[in-house]
Order: sequence, then structure tokens, then C-alpha cells
Amino acid sequence: MLKVENIESGYGSMQVLWGPSLEVKKGSITSLLGPNGAGKTTLLMTILGSIEPWGGKITYEDREVTHLPTHKKVDLGISLVPEGKHLFVDMSVHENLVMGAYRKEALKNIDDSLELVYSLFPVLKERDRQKAGTLSGGEQQMLTIARAIMTKPKMIMLDEPSQGLAPKLVAEVFETIQKLEAEFGLTILLVEQNVVASLNAASYVYILHEGRIKVEGNPEDIRGSADIREAYLGI
Amino acid sequence: MIFELLAGNLTHGLLLGGVYGVATMGLSLIFGVINVVNVGHGQFIMVGAFVTLILFTALGLSPVIAIPVALIIGMALGFLFFYTVMRKLIKAPELASLLATFAVGILLEELAKLIFGADFRGYYWDVGKIILPFTTIPMSKLYAFIGSIAIALFLYFWFSKTRSGTAVRSVIEDSEGARVCGVNVDWIYALSFAIGIGITVMSGVLLTMFIPVGINPYMGGAYTLKAFVIAVLGGLTSPYGAFFAGLIFGLVENGAYTLFALIPGVAPFSLTVSLAFWMLFFLLLVKPTGLLGKK
Repeated sequence: MLKVENIESGYGSMQVLWGPSLEVKKGSITSLLGPNGAGKTTLLMTILGSIEPWGGKITYEDREVTHLPTHKKVDLGISLVPEGKHLFVDMSVHENLVMGAYRKEALKNIDDSLELVYSLFPVLKERDRQKAGTLSGGEQQMLTIARAIMTKPKMIMLDEPSQGLAPKLVAEVFETIQKLEAEFGLTILLVEQNVVASLNAASYVYILHEGRIKVEGNPEDIRGSADIREAYLGI
Repeated sequence: MIFELLAGNLTHGLLLGGVYGVATMGLSLIFGVINVVNVGHGQFIMVGAFVTLILFTALGLSPVIAIPVALIIGMALGFLFFYTVMRKLIKAPELASLLATFAVGILLEELAKLIFGADFRGYYWDVGKIILPFTTIPMSKLYAFIGSIAIALFLYFWFSKTRSGTAVRSVIEDSEGARVCGVNVDWIYALSFAIGIGITVMSGVLLTMFIPVGINPYMGGAYTLKAFVIAVLGGLTSPYGAFFAGLIFGLVENGAYTLFALIPGVAPFSLTVSLAFWMLFFLLLVKPTGLLGKK
């Protein structure tokens, strides 16, 4: 579904990505692991287009989208749950969700989408008039995922969705991600620090290190290799 | 006697405050969305004043017509300066955008001087007056006040009820969040800058009702300073806050003038001019996020 080839990008004159390539198969969970500063967030932002790629190629559903602006990519069904949430804290939960359905296609389906996210996250319905900034950390993370679902995506990229959450909530987030894949047929690209949970959820794994893909393979193989775990994952 | 004077000045201050409010809404909108302090703000007010003057004296058109004309000219200038100057500077260090807007301001001043000369000009729009027990209010000032409220309400409606206004709010709150929702953030930058300048030029139309012979290419600087004070008073990124802060500023400025006049040996006008500085100074000292601002 998504193919990234030899992508290069960075900030200002500082290059972060040195040509990683990866592929995300339709209807699967692909996990991107790697230490802090490896360039995982930069890679997701480059795929979505909020950082302009310097070189390489991005293909989505057999269409080249390397330099397509972000809002056009959202139209094509690419969605990002950004690191650090980036919610509209002064707007209500409901308004945040409506913002998720900002694009015309998503707006047509807004009622169905709202019903879906409220069934996935009943707590958001209870708090729909409340300002997003007054929610707990876990609820805010749910709202961020819900807002991404409102864009009517085919593929969701999640950037550290379990960051800073209590273990019980981490499990809930992973359950939700697996549900999105299994029940709604969404394709998932998951960036996580939580290596164990990611290896359990994913069907294919890439390890990014210093802006390059160092290892890729099935989760079983990665779990089985003491060298890889020690060198890149610290487990 | 003094109370009559004070009541009269406060009334005029309130009416003028509405115009200050609208003028500052433009500044706040631009600061809120693209984080650029428009140092050339007052010069766009001057453009609005000249638009009104030309339409009135050369074409015989009423200032009421000048309002939409000013909006169109202002938005056109806004788009022009955005795509030629500002677009590249949004992510640049603040000094770059400060210098650029300063330069735009000077450019406008000098162009105005080239075309109209440096003389003070004015016009008289005679639409009657209201006589109150303590003062007389020209209807033109009342119309300007009504106009300012209408513009503020219009902006409020755009902001809270329309799709593009909501998108602007989302960009003010979190531009990265807006981007992942599919908001074309670069277009929102351009649109907000254009509307911000449009509102500012419109406020120049309203202002002419208060400065019978004050239209001049260099009139803008004083209003830049006032708008800064009002913007800080209103919490910088909030256009509504800016409007109410404008009303407060108009009241304080005119009330203080009356009181300063009571102090023997003092030139009340000069002291009033310095008042904006003093307000800014104390405000930044006491509550840097603005009187009506959050956090």
C-alpha cells in the first residue's frame, strides 16, 4: 500500500534520514522501531509531507506522492497520530473530532465516523462538550486516535501512541490499534518505544537507526535474534 | 463641570475605542496565525484613511462605500505582500519578519508621500449630530462605532461558525494538528494575513471620522504603537480580546486626557501620548500574557 524508497530529509541543513526504504502491506500492522533520535518521527512527517523530502520516492496505492502537499495526502486516506498529540486544547472534544473530518470527503461521512469513534471510545462521548485540554493523558491520546479516524483514512501512522501512559492504558491503546486493523481493515504503520508490545502486534518490523534501516523481518525472527535485540532494541 | 467633561470624553473614547479594537483585531489575527508582529501595521491604517479621502473628495462617495472598498484593497495588498515577502519568512528568525514588515511600512509611507504629498488632509462628512446633555456627538463617529461593532461581529461569526474560520482557529491553536487534519495550512496563512490586513485597512476608514484633518502619509506609526498596547492588553492572539481591549484603551486614553488637563503646568496631550508606553510597561511587568489573556 505504501512504499518508501531511499528517502532523504531533515531540518534546515541537518540531514536526518539517509535513504531508508520500507513497505507497508495493505491491511497489516507494520512496526517501525529504533532508539530516540533515529529519525522515526521525521520519517512519518516526511511521508505525510509536513517535512519536504530532499530525495527518494514515496508511492501510495501505486501512485507517486513524494511531493504531494499534506492536505492532498489526507484526501488519499493517509492519516497521522502525531507524537505529542497536537490536539486543539481550547476546543471541545466534539470540535476536535469535527476538525478531523475537515476534508470534504471526510465531512460527507461525518455522522458515521462520529458513531464509530464514540463506539470505540465511549468516554469521548461522555465528555464531548468538554475542552480537550481538560481531559486526562489517556483520554487525550484516545481523542488523538479518534481525530485521525475521523479523516476517513485507509492507512494510519501512529507516532508513539503509548508514550507517557500507565501500563493499563498502554494495553488499551494496543488493543485499539489491533482492532482497527482486524475489524476495520485499516493499514497501520506503528512507531513505538514499547518494543515488546510492538513485536506482538506487528506482522512485519523495521528497525531504524541513525536515519537508516538496519534490520527488517518478521517479529519472530527479531525476537529470536539476541544480536539484534541487544544492538538496537535494548531488550 | 469636570464630570460633564469626563462623561463627554469617555463617550468619545468609547466610540474611538471601537475603531482601535478593529484596528488591533487585524494585528492579533496575523500574530496569532503566522506569529509575525506586523511592525508596518499603522501604515495599513493610513492606506485605509487615504482610500476614504480619495473616494470622498475625488469621487464624492460616502465613507460607507469606502468600507468594502478598503476590505478589497486591503486583502489584495495582504495577498500581494504575503506571497512576495512574508511566505518565506514565517519559519525564519523573528528579526527577519520584523525588518520585512518595517520595510513594507516605510514603502507604503513613501508611496503615499509620492502620490499625495506630505500635507495633512481631511474631509468633512456631514451627517448630522446628536446632542446629549454633556456633549455633542457627530453622527459620523456613531456610524464609525456601529461599523466597528459590525466588523467585529462579522469576524466573530467567521471565526466561530464557518469552515475556514474554524480552520484558522485550529492553526492558531496547533498548526501541526491542523495539518494532520488536512487543513491546507499554507493557504490559511495567506488567507489570515490577507484578512488581517483587510480589517486593518477598513479600520483606517473608520478612523477618519475621528481625525478631521489628520490624514497624512506618516500618521500610521502612532497607531502601530497603540495597537501593540491594545494587543498585549487583549492577550495578543485573541481577536475578540483585542476588540474589548480596544474599547478599554479608548476609554482610558480619553478619560486620562481629561484628568491630565486638571494638573496645572502639564500639557495633557503629550502626556496622553506617553500613556500608551506607560500602560505597555506596567502591563508587561504585571501580567505579560495580557489582561484578558489566558495562563
